[in-house]
Amino acid sequence: MKRDPFVIIGVALVVALMLLFGFKIAHRHPQAASLLIQNSAAPDFTLQALDGKTVHLSDFRGKPVVLNFWATWCGPCKIEMPWFVDFQKQYGPAGVQFLGVAMDDASTKDIAEFAASMKVNYPILIGKESVGDAYGGVQFLPETFYIDGNGKIVDKAFGLKGRGEIEDDIKKILAQSAVAQTQK
Amino acid sequence: MNSITKLVLVWLLSATALPAQDSLGRKAPSVTLSPAPLTTMIRGKATNVELRFHVGSNFHINSNKPAAEYLIPTTLKLDVPTDIVVGKITYPPGEEMSFAFAPDEKLSVYSGEFNLVVQVRPLASMLPGKYEIRGRLRYQACDNAACFPPKQLPVDFEVKVIKAPPPPKQNPAQSPHAHT
Repeated sequence: MKRDPFVIIGVALVVALMLLFGFKIAHRHPQAASLLIQNSAAPDFTLQALDGKTVHLSDFRGKPVVLNFWATWCGPCKIEMPWFVDFQKQYGPAGVQFLGVAMDDASTKDIAEFAASMKVNYPILIGKESVGDAYGGVQFLPETFYIDGNGKIVDKAFGLKGRGEIEDDIKKILAQSAVAQTQK
Repeated sequence: MNSITKLVLVWLLSATALPAQDSLGRKAPSVTLSPAPLTTMIRGKATNVELRFHVGSNFHINSNKPAAEYLIPTTLKLDVPTDIVVGKITYPPGEEMSFAFAPDEKLSVYSGEFNLVVQVRPLASMLPGKYEIRGRLRYQACDNAACFPPKQLPVDFEVKVIKAPPPPKQNPAQSPHAHT
């Protein structure tokens, strides 16, 4: 029996579409794609800091924020943390605020010890899966979101970036925040 | 099937394979277990079973003894039938490697293929037959710039337990007076 190539292609197309839709439906983090759009609003969250205080992202409205998702077991995260410490010192007086969100199964004590060993000088928050989901799932670490003073995501970095690239993004959110201030 | 049909089919298959990468274009890490051949073991005696794992290309996982306390070691945990005792699990030494994210630091990792050796001892009272041993390999993978949350790979292999062969028969001692 001779098979019609159009029928074969048609069947393969249907199977391919079903697979694609299946993957889409099964995907746990539907907001990931939308977050790729720059200038979207950074989702607000409520998380507990290492000192027990409750912290909302909206507490920092008006300030450029560098929101870094990390974990104690993440080698690349450990590399960039000392840079963040330096940048917090350097750009903190200009208003930049770093926030670290630990996406870790480790105890708060272990996270605190790790942060202390890294001499972290900015708030470390205990992450929740729901917050990770709001930021696209945080499927790997580090992930860093650069948020301007209006609470908009100006840029994102997935995985470790160079120190220079990080500084460029900090300058970008500072500039964007300054523009927003003058427009008010 | 003509060549155009083949081309279209290949294209469709490639398109459906894309979601294996995450939405950010980074491939998810994979560690797989090669099917373990059936190991035959005598009840009451310890036998080694070798398990061969494969780490996806461009990824590494920490060895069982990672270079730093904060890193998550690769560990195998097995749930065995009551009459089987799991002895020592031998992990290979990690490869000492430096990565772009930490050029001055040597990490102890597994990449490509690595083997674990599990010592298995069926109790002497165990009924001969085939038994399934299940477990989980816990690992945490990274590539050159990012790390993925710890994962667990289901591990499954079979062993065949047999009775000890009967001891060889000894020849009766010959009497010096046998030839008379």
